[in-house]
Amino acid sequence: MLTKSAAKAFFLGGTALCSIAFVLLSMDTLAQFPERSNQDEMTESVVRGHMIWNKNNCMGCHTLLGEGAYYAPELTQVVKRRSDVWLTEFLKDPERMFPGRRKMVKYDFYDADEVGAEEAKKNIDDTLAFFHWVARIDTNGFPAEPDMAPANALATAPIAANSILNAAPEYVKSVCIGCHSIEGQGGTVGPALDGVADRFDAEYLRKWVADPLSVKPDTTMPNLGLKGEQLDDILNFLGTLKEN
Amino acid sequence: MRFQSQKIAWYFFAACMGLFVLQLIYGFILGFDRMGWEGLHEIIPFNVARATHTNLLVVWLLAGFMGAAYYIIPEEADREIWSPKLAWIQYFSLLAVGVVAIIGYHFNIWEGRKFLEIPRPLDYLVVVNVLAFLFNILMTIWKGKRMTTTAMVLFFGLLTAALLYLPGMWTFDNLVHDSYFRWWVVHLWVEGVWELIMGAILSFLLIKLTGVDREVIEKWLYIIVGFTFLSGILGTGHHYYFTGGPSYWLMIGGVFSALEPLAFLGMALYAIAMARRGGRKHPNRIALSWTIGCAVMSFVGAGALGFAHTLPQVNLWTHGTLVTAMHGHMAFWGAYCMLILALISYALPEMTGRKNYKGWMPEWAFWCSNIGMICMTGAFAVMGVAQVYLERKAGMDFLDVQEGLEVHAFALILAGALFTFGIVLFVKNFISYGLPSDEAMIANASEADATASDSGSTDAIDGAAAPQA
Repeated sequence: MLTKSAAKAFFLGGTALCSIAFVLLSMDTLAQFPERSNQDEMTESVVRGHMIWNKNNCMGCHTLLGEGAYYAPELTQVVKRRSDVWLTEFLKDPERMFPGRRKMVKYDFYDADEVGAEEAKKNIDDTLAFFHWVARIDTNGFPAEPDMAPANALATAPIAANSILNAAPEYVKSVCIGCHSIEGQGGTVGPALDGVADRFDAEYLRKWVADPLSVKPDTTMPNLGLKGEQLDDILNFLGTLKEN
Repeated sequence: MRFQSQKIAWYFFAACMGLFVLQLIYGFILGFDRMGWEGLHEIIPFNVARATHTNLLVVWLLAGFMGAAYYIIPEEADREIWSPKLAWIQYFSLLAVGVVAIIGYHFNIWEGRKFLEIPRPLDYLVVVNVLAFLFNILMTIWKGKRMTTTAMVLFFGLLTAALLYLPGMWTFDNLVHDSYFRWWVVHLWVEGVWELIMGAILSFLLIKLTGVDREVIEKWLYIIVGFTFLSGILGTGHHYYFTGGPSYWLMIGGVFSALEPLAFLGMALYAIAMARRGGRKHPNRIALSWTIGCAVMSFVGAGALGFAHTLPQVNLWTHGTLVTAMHGHMAFWGAYCMLILALISYALPEMTGRKNYKGWMPEWAFWCSNIGMICMTGAFAVMGVAQVYLERKAGMDFLDVQEGLEVHAFALILAGALFTFGIVLFVKNFISYGLPSDEAMIANASEADATASDSGSTDAIDGAAAPQA
């Protein structure tokens, strides 16, 4: 029959062995981290982005490398799902991209009293730099590609070769089609844009895109603050969307 | 209760009750958020409520462990606490640090690292506080009349828990590095050294409640904590699968964390076997229910549900989903919350002299809270598994899936309400006992002398004879 001292020896011996093994493995792991995480590509901007991530407790809702709180999307590969243009627009005011849906706090990514325009832009750029760096970490295959996926028509699906979208400005391809569809490609939140130039004249469209709320106060379409050349490019493209 | 200074444990337990109730309130905020009712978003957004919910748990469990030590160590060492004054200072400073940290979260003052959100200056205060606590406990054991295995395992658990707090204060610019050491704290606490504390408190309760000989109980205590470390230390690897670590962690983490349920199974079988074997019918049956309940629910929550998603082939899909919340809730409830509630149930009549463990209220507290937690775990399981298949495997959009799951968040809230009803009964029962009194101490002491069934261990310094139970 097992004695108490034998039991004690089992406890102490087992613990010591496992602890030694764990420390040795940890040393090897730490030595591999710089290469596996591309530490040499961690620019000042990446580090500052990491700081912004921590400071706002982003993992209190999101997950990154699968670690966090499962209330908001997993962000390890976010830069592959969404373009930088889309992410920039989103961070400025998260709720306007998903009106009436799950909320995200508006952090120091927009030009408010406390943060100047320059500071806000830097915050966004650094955060995106951090995400671009994270996306290249060797994570042993996480997150896995969906293996039961039907051929789905998400906004992120590649644009077909003969689509009119190929001629669209980058902003339309990554932001507008988050909600609107063109030739069946894009979101279903707002109406499809096929033939939009037949339905509305150029002046009305300009007014609507530049400031939707001034045309229709209860619309869910956000004011994206578009102006100048960017607004012209978008309207020129919309003008080509004719069916007749 | 045999020593006057043990009374301080009551104040730690009272703090546990208050913080626990507050934790549940924040749990409801999180549940309603998930249901789509984000009315408090402007004041308490999800990440604030989440940090508060988990940190309140950590603070009240730590307060519970400290209270447990202040209650158990004098009895095991057979003397008063070395410095009750230091214990009081430590009590108030712990509460102050905890409350300041939690208020700070509401103003974005935090480190933003899951479970270790507490800001750096407060980290140092926690360290000083815990050092004072450990010193007090160590001096009590050192100057005591005997040195039991139970006391030593408890002290070793508390000491290593304090030491393992330190890697969490080591931060790195590299996210991968940062995450690596964060798990040294979180994993090696809850699946490592906290289980020593758990084993020791369970031993103490089983010795008191079942009357089984100390030698037998403590022998099995060594075996169980031995298995805990054998599996738990290298089992840390299950946090390193997909967070930037080399691929050998898939194998090592997988194999060793598959063994982790054995330690918990051992704990459950041990509690059940000792309770059956015990000759003594201790009148406080509800304390025994909590004790065995703790061992069984920790096996189900931490052991079985942990195993359900710990293998790398499964975890590739479940990592970072609500499946983790399913496991986390029952694991913490079974292993650590029930443990503290078990000790409180045992200690209250001893400290106050009132026998309020009779009647319907403590029984209903036990059953409602446990059934409520099982239902909550079920709701999380449905949400987690649905999320894995729809989002991870079928590639649906995150928010679309989450909105589809809102109805299950409603089920979660209903289950949480039943759980909360149980806890409110427990707190009402706690209050009904009133304050600890010295008369109770004297009465208990004479009773203990008369039965003298808590035999000394062979480790005992005074070499007390060990009559067989």
